[in-house]
Amino acid sequence: MYNRFFKKLIRFSLDRPWMIIGLLLLAVVGAVFQYPKMKVDTDPENMLREDEFVRVFHHQVKKEFGLYDFVVLGVVNEEDPNGVFNVETLNKIYHITEGIKKIDGVITREIIAPSTKDNIRQGQIGEVIFEWLMAGPIKTKEEALRIRDEAMDNPLFYGTMVSEDGKAICIYVPIKAKNISYKVSQQIKKIISKYPGKEKYYITGLPVAEDTFGVEMFKQMAISAPLAAIIIFTLMFIFFRSFQLILSPMIMAIATVLITMGLLIGLGYPVHIMSSMIPIFLMPIAVLNSVHILSEFFDKYQKIKDKKETVLAVMDELFVPMLYASFTTIVGFFSLSFSPIPPVQVFGVFVAIGVFISWLLSLTFIPAYISLMPDSRLTNFGSRETEEAKGFLKWVGMLSFQQKYVVILAAVGLTIVSILGIMRIKVNDNPVKWFTKKHEIRIADEVLNRHFGGTYIAYLVLDAGKKDAFIEPDMLNYISGLQEFLQKKGIVGKSSSLADVVKKIYYDLLGGDKRYFRIPSSKQGVAQCLISFENSHKPDDLWHFTNPDYTKLNVWIQLKRGDNQDMSRVIKAVDEYFKAHKPPMNFTYNWAGLTYINMVWQDKMVIGMLKNFLGSYVIVLFMMIYLFRSSIRAWISMLPLTITILFIYGLLGWTGKEYNMPVAVLSALTLGLSIDFAIHFMQRARAMYGRLGNWQEVLIGMFGSPARAIGRNALVIAIGFLPLLAAPLVPYKTVGFFMFAIMAASSVITLLLLPAIIAVFPSMVFEDRETPIFCSLAERLLLAFSIAFAVGYLLMGYLHFGLQRTVFVSILIAVGVFLFEQIISFGRWCREA
Amino acid sequence: MKRWFLFLVAFGIFSLFAIKGFSLTADEVMKKAYHVQNYLADDERVHVEMKIIDSQGRTRNRVITMLRKDMDNEDKEQKYFVYFMEPPDVEGMTYMVWKHIGRDDDRWLYLPALDLVRRIAASDKRSSFVGSDFVYEDISGRNIDEDVHELVDETDTQYIVKCTPKKPDLVEFSYFKVYVDKKTFIPMKKEYFDKNGKLYRKLEVLESKEIQGFPTITKGQAVNLETGGRTEITFSNVEYNIGIPDDVFTERYLRRPPRKWLK
Repeated sequence: MYNRFFKKLIRFSLDRPWMIIGLLLLAVVGAVFQYPKMKVDTDPENMLREDEFVRVFHHQVKKEFGLYDFVVLGVVNEEDPNGVFNVETLNKIYHITEGIKKIDGVITREIIAPSTKDNIRQGQIGEVIFEWLMAGPIKTKEEALRIRDEAMDNPLFYGTMVSEDGKAICIYVPIKAKNISYKVSQQIKKIISKYPGKEKYYITGLPVAEDTFGVEMFKQMAISAPLAAIIIFTLMFIFFRSFQLILSPMIMAIATVLITMGLLIGLGYPVHIMSSMIPIFLMPIAVLNSVHILSEFFDKYQKIKDKKETVLAVMDELFVPMLYASFTTIVGFFSLSFSPIPPVQVFGVFVAIGVFISWLLSLTFIPAYISLMPDSRLTNFGSRETEEAKGFLKWVGMLSFQQKYVVILAAVGLTIVSILGIMRIKVNDNPVKWFTKKHEIRIADEVLNRHFGGTYIAYLVLDAGKKDAFIEPDMLNYISGLQEFLQKKGIVGKSSSLADVVKKIYYDLLGGDKRYFRIPSSKQGVAQCLISFENSHKPDDLWHFTNPDYTKLNVWIQLKRGDNQDMSRVIKAVDEYFKAHKPPMNFTYNWAGLTYINMVWQDKMVIGMLKNFLGSYVIVLFMMIYLFRSSIRAWISMLPLTITILFIYGLLGWTGKEYNMPVAVLSALTLGLSIDFAIHFMQRARAMYGRLGNWQEVLIGMFGSPARAIGRNALVIAIGFLPLLAAPLVPYKTVGFFMFAIMAASSVITLLLLPAIIAVFPSMVFEDRETPIFCSLAERLLLAFSIAFAVGYLLMGYLHFGLQRTVFVSILIAVGVFLFEQIISFGRWCREA
Repeated sequence: MKRWFLFLVAFGIFSLFAIKGFSLTADEVMKKAYHVQNYLADDERVHVEMKIIDSQGRTRNRVITMLRKDMDNEDKEQKYFVYFMEPPDVEGMTYMVWKHIGRDDDRWLYLPALDLVRRIAASDKRSSFVGSDFVYEDISGRNIDEDVHELVDETDTQYIVKCTPKKPDLVEFSYFKVYVDKKTFIPMKKEYFDKNGKLYRKLEVLESKEIQGFPTITKGQAVNLETGGRTEITFSNVEYNIGIPDDVFTERYLRRPPRKWLK
């Protein structure tokens, strides 16, 4: 594989360094010119394709029922005995509402606030009154208390606009588009700053959380990525003590990031929450290859004393492992392009491109750079280093093969514990939880959901396909029953429907007698209640709950938490109710609302990621089989990676952290990074065996420069990403923590487990047979198993076979392949020469 | 009959003045327009069809018969009786208004399915008229004393009057402009501007004709520029001076609609 072409390429880079550097500069400048075109997309809705049913339906529902995304402003007064229902606070709320009406992008007529809502109430005997809940500023305590009592008497207001404890009021600010919610929230903040006092103000809602995340994400990009770069740089300086030398991987890493992002922007892809993480992912990968080269260069230079010759010698040794290491990473990320989630596809493809660029640069730019370094700078370079093992690494090496059974047993134990942990994993996400607990959005979310029925809204839309279906009293009572059922289960904060509207009007028309808080007994009765309601200031409010021919119904469901798990519990409960109680009329139903959409894409992502991960696992496995010409060695090389991934996700399960978007994406990174170590270790060990011919010596040798390179890489990346732990955004913390854990686990597992296994079966790893792979019984068995594994994956993942059928077919394939191998193994090519 | 004749004469004279270039003051224009829109003849029966079309093009219909009777000759006290025919589920619903000047109107609603008569009170007259884009005040007529009038423009055919409410807190608009036809004094168009000065709703006369000598609006529409919805209203079978007795406009007829007068 290390053929003439690549040798020529490296030689060319060494001889014509300026050419390479000029080309690189050109590429970087070209890329940077694309940056002004950058489009930002922080809308998690785009995690689903635009034509995805849930999205299409969501928009249809929004249009049909006149619904908008809300910014929620909560006003809390804990000090006044009457809570927010005092003259001062209510007047502040009035003026704030008036101010909000003037904000650009706010749908003024749909604002939900005391002064924008019409109330129906009883007046004197036989009288009903339609009036604004709060027509204007008030003067007396009595007025304030009247507003409280009326709001508390209206099922559409309490738990939604006013809290049941009277301490808080929420203003729901509908906005034209989600992506202006951060801007709108900033303007609201400006307005409320004019009304200080005992009141506390909180801004929340999914759109704000999502949009704010986008804003802070870019701030983080500007802090985290450079900070990581600085730390990586410092660590490398400690290892190699040559500023000039370590400059090259840094330039390479930055150039890789700049070119990849430029390509992404230039091709018109928006920078999404996912793609904003590309630099953070590319940085360690780009550094990885160059650290291998530098580490080796460092160790070899004093022996060879000529920089060009040293580079060539280094490449001789490293080309194949680097090639495989890079291409397995590329495969790992490229597999994401089969994900059902467009931003994840883009992310995967561009990280893959970035890895390719960095691989290419490590073959061209690094040699070019080294050849430009003055020899004088290199005289003392690496003089302290030897290729031999010493100190701690040597001790680790001795431990690994002297205590091989202990190590293997420990690995088995770790695997079992990890699998138990994985079984405890909770798949869950909630964009509000992307902020740390102390972030104002998290605090607002916590406070407001303590006071109210919930700021997370989902819509349950029923379609009976028959005119006037939903003014039939039976249907309304049926829906009312559903709402009670959900409330009793304690899984929804509150729900509102046409049934509540009808009950409220009926009750007021009949003089405010609680006995009449029910649905009238005839369809005409319902219709006449509704037409009475239509005489109010806001008759259109009705069309948020049903459509004008009453064929459809929209039930508003408020949840106190936006977690997927909460949403799926509600869905299950609704299904359960519909199944257990026969509806008076048939209807179809579907869900809409941001809380629901989030659940859908997250569920999709989890399954999708698992599928992709297994897919790249299979591909990497076959690459290893090809690289090592042996399925036994391939499986051995896959072991550290497999255990690392199990360990990482097991850790997730044991620590109770939730499986969410960033965590899911990290599986691809783990695959790419951990296999690198195994490839370097196996490949170089085999190369060394070719020279030494004695596996004990090889293992000791391996704990010299190869292990050092692996250890350095692990340290650089693990520590380099620790500052992410200080980020105010949880996904960044998660990435930081995981980078650390992945690097630590995979390097330790690689360095301990591989030597232990080699020590147990040295010949399986080192002895190359002259005959093809299928001539050994063990290889035959394992190859048959590998093929069956791949086929099983395809059947289950893409042809949607059930588990039983898949296992059955896979066993058949395994047996078939094995028999075929068995037959051809009798052939001429397996007779030893 | 005599009063009606006198009115026609007065009308003719005013028209002559107008042609001769005698401009009217804003208050005079509005007074006439107010009369033409709400107080023609002594009483009136009209068949009203409303088509409410929302921004999505969905329509709802309202069909009612309306009786009106003036209680004085000063364009002040008035009584209305409204009988609902459509939508079918609300057929038989009745609605009665005693319009007063200077104090709240009395309003009653009868819901036959619940056999319930209720007095309706509202904090203002800006609530919707049975779910349409017309507000209560569009139908009953906004008392001209509530606004300050200003003649802002005059074309060959129209007076354009800007009306600014004396009590701005009671209404959702900051002012409205009325386009009054110089010949008939029908307010052909009303444009409402919100508190930010943006046009947000308008009422338009689409058709008018002379019935029994009275300039009568036969078709109009209310357009809500904010919601994108509109309501078309058609007046047919208009009859003036049919001699509706006072007792038709009492509570007992709410439950037993006066079929004779509703026809």
